[in-house]
Amino acid sequence: MKARAPLAVALALLLLPLGFMDLRTYLTLTVAGLAMGMLIFLVAAGLTLIFGLMDVLNFAHGALFSWGAYAGFAVAALLNGRWGWAASPSVAANALLLAAAIVVAMAVTVVLGVLLERIIVRPVYGQHLFQILITLGASIVLEELIRILWGPNDQVMPVPATIQGSWDVADVVVLRVPVVAIGLGLAIYAGMQLLLNRTRIGLIVRAGVENGEMIQVMGHNIHRYFTGVFAAGSALAGVGGLMWAIFSQSVRPGMGGEQLIFAFIVVIIGGLGSVTGSLVGALMVGLSYNYVAYLVPKAAIGVTMALMVIVLLLRPTGLYGTAK
Amino acid sequence: MTPPALTPVQAKRLEARRHRLQDPTLHLRLGVLLAFVLAPVIVPSFQVTDLLLKVALFATLVASYDVVIGYTGIVSFGHAMFFGFGAYAVALSLGKWGAPTYGHLLAGFGAGIVVSAVVAVLIGAFSLRVKALFFAMITLAFAEFALILAVQLSTVTGGEDGLSPKLPGVFAAAFDGGRLLGIPLTGRLITYYALLAVCVALFLLMSRFVHSPLGRTLQAIRDNELRAEALGYRTFVFQIISSSFASVVATVLGGGYAMWVRYVNPESTLGIPIMLDVLLMVIIGGIGTLYGGIIGAALLLAARTLLPDLRGLSASLFPGWEIVGRLSDRWLLYFGILFILVVFFFPKGVLGTIRERLSRRPPGRTP
Repeated sequence: MKARAPLAVALALLLLPLGFMDLRTYLTLTVAGLAMGMLIFLVAAGLTLIFGLMDVLNFAHGALFSWGAYAGFAVAALLNGRWGWAASPSVAANALLLAAAIVVAMAVTVVLGVLLERIIVRPVYGQHLFQILITLGASIVLEELIRILWGPNDQVMPVPATIQGSWDVADVVVLRVPVVAIGLGLAIYAGMQLLLNRTRIGLIVRAGVENGEMIQVMGHNIHRYFTGVFAAGSALAGVGGLMWAIFSQSVRPGMGGEQLIFAFIVVIIGGLGSVTGSLVGALMVGLSYNYVAYLVPKAAIGVTMALMVIVLLLRPTGLYGTAK
Repeated sequence: MTPPALTPVQAKRLEARRHRLQDPTLHLRLGVLLAFVLAPVIVPSFQVTDLLLKVALFATLVASYDVVIGYTGIVSFGHAMFFGFGAYAVALSLGKWGAPTYGHLLAGFGAGIVVSAVVAVLIGAFSLRVKALFFAMITLAFAEFALILAVQLSTVTGGEDGLSPKLPGVFAAAFDGGRLLGIPLTGRLITYYALLAVCVALFLLMSRFVHSPLGRTLQAIRDNELRAEALGYRTFVFQIISSSFASVVATVLGGGYAMWVRYVNPESTLGIPIMLDVLLMVIIGGIGTLYGGIIGAALLLAARTLLPDLRGLSASLFPGWEIVGRLSDRWLLYFGILFILVVFFFPKGVLGTIRERLSRRPPGRTP
């Protein structure tokens, strides 16, 4: 019963706004909210992975998000500028463009993540205060580097023509980009669950969460796994950034910082170290933000904070968190 | 009958009190204070007094942040928010209800203090219940929320444009008190000394706070929370007391800042940039030193006033190089690099490093 309680709360929240709007608006908002939730989930999942295993509060996560967005943007702009792959109606060209952008965004953020872990984070393991300070410094540097390389202003993200526009499903307007985002988010969630629960690597990583020293005694190089997890978390942030750029059709150097706040709130709501918690928390934040933004536009940010406060009051460890 | 035996702590404190006047840093502190008092008389330029008072205000703000981060060991990103609360409370109180009076000024400070204390206790109650670690995230979220609120409620706060309050009585820009010993008594000068006095008083208060038994308990919690809890201290309550105390001090300073600058907007009082400045100042000066804030604030603010000249220099040296222009534009980049380097190589900051060196030196005379 106790394990189901968070799910019941989430469902009740999901159905509540039906009382204030008609079904069609509700469905449109729900799709948009799910998409937003999935994008936040990508960021929060990486964050909670890094925190769960390595006990590192990574404030540079938002900057990696921006870097993923800009790396994808650079690839998309290049391909679109030279061959017009985004503007062309050909599905193959569009898919290639999207795939290339995703691969480059992940590659760039993985490299940055490894560098970050090796140079910045490794000397300060176990010291939370210095972790927060040093990753904050790293996030400033990374964000400023974006401003130097690409300039400080907003830029328009070329979006493949195939996923622009919308489908009409039984009179409900379903935007295509959110559907892609939801699909990608679900795929990544499933992949993470499989990797963590069904493979040997996942076993070692989970055991490392419980007791890192014991894993080392068993002959596994925990540092290598740390680097791997950090890189994986960074890649998730990168993909999240790229998807967000496509979703909002623009890139900004400060976009990561704003999403980081949402991601923090989601991690707190879901419970530190729980991937499922991150998913549920992200969906709750995404949905409630969209509903409230429609009903009372000015209170949209406030509802996220209120959600966090309520969850913390009821369950101080978050929905799926365990007391450490 | 033998006198009651002193505990080691009491004995040590008695010993320290006996040697108080021989403490060399006392003279140093008095010297700094004297420099602050005399400077506007010797160099009557507005730029100098402006820089000095900002250093004083920020040094005190950094010290109040040090109470939280250095003496209690919890990282808050909402400290600038409380500074902003104070600034807005004073600006609103002076600007919204007719001609400003001293009563409005006091009411502004009072309202700011009450709001800050309540918010600080509430945030602490939500986030410190589980882990002090949550505090960093939750305060960051709240600070962002406060910033958005200040921008959105433009009918009250003036939105992005902010507020420019007018000051009452002797603090007003137009006030002219004639001459005293040949020095023109302007509203600016009186405000300078009043705010300097406030800063000194707050510094003394904080020094008293961290050296009190309460402050010692806080340091015990910082060093080993589990052990402090095992000794019977309710760490949660102590952490809330510390963070709310520091928040209230920050609020008063925010009000002082509004009085001096006479202009309040979200970016300059509530924003994340202010928080970053304070963080950098506390790290440069030295975490857990209280007085390090003076060094950090002086270095950073002096660098900030000199930076525009540097920018002009680099532009004239490399004309037409866009990338060089961008590189010199992004001073925040160098801040970030400096930040990382300081955390790596001087984790104790300037003052902390000096103190460590001094304490390692063999003592000249036995106490």
